Amino acid sequence: METNLTPEQSLKLIDDMMRQAKRSFHRISFYFLLWGALLIGAMLLEFIMNTMGQPLYGKSWGVIGVIGGIISGVHGARQGKKEGASTTMDRVMMWLWTAFVITLVVTIVGYGVTGGGTPAGSILVLTGLPTFVSGQLMRFKPLIFGGILFWILGMASYFVTPPMITWLYIGAMLFGYVIPGYLLKRQEDGLRTA
Amino acid sequence: MAFAPLDPILHNQLRLAIMSLLVTVEEGDFNFLLEKTGATRGNVSVQITKLKEAGYITVLKTFKENYPNTVCSITTKGLTAFEVYVKAIKDYLKT
Repeated sequence: METNLTPEQSLKLIDDMMRQAKRSFHRISFYFLLWGALLIGAMLLEFIMNTMGQPLYGKSWGVIGVIGGIISGVHGARQGKKEGASTTMDRVMMWLWTAFVITLVVTIVGYGVTGGGTPAGSILVLTGLPTFVSGQLMRFKPLIFGGILFWILGMASYFVTPPMITWLYIGAMLFGYVIPGYLLKRQEDGLRTA
Repeated sequence: MAFAPLDPILHNQLRLAIMSLLVTVEEGDFNFLLEKTGATRGNVSVQITKLKEAGYITVLKTFKENYPNTVCSITTKGLTAFEVYVKAIKDYLKT
């Protein structure tokens, strides 16, 4: 590799290298699939136990939050060791989702302490924020629509009865998290092999 | 029309490749630069030193899983030089 580059070669080289570097963005679809599955599981468990007359009063969210936090932390640390580069986008995403999880935990604990009923509606509204912002930052429409869906169904859940809240919540998690997460995974897989 | 002279530090295939990678990512380690440029270990090392001496990148020696790890990131001076270089070659192409 030596000098004597023509302007065309210089521009092509810059373009090629930038494309190469963009393929190094961290994969985040794992977190959408993980948290989507865990949060649906928590809601279903709450619903089933409630139906059986043994309500958990939101304890399953706390347990699943800890399990999800540990799995996410371990996965993130492993991924960080594998990757040789980190982008500004990676850092923005990391802090956006870290701030979201902290806000979520504080909100759920707040509901538990004050006995303020099911936190499902607030969870949905809160989840809409990082999902929508992530979608906009990545220019990935399924996440943008997912974020909007979280806000709409979160708002709707304040006006309906508890059994209906369960289905709104599960629908939001499925269409706002799991399906966009799966589509994102396909895109990430394609980007890696391109 | 007089053309701006091209920065000799950047007008080198490998150094330009390294700078283009570092402009896109916030920081990249030695193996990342090695893999993406496809150049030899020795050549990448020499060009990193030249870019560092020009003040275009910072080089941080750390450890990753008990092995030495060199992490590079672009400086403000490097970013400005890169932007000036890109503008200069675009001007060449316009004529």
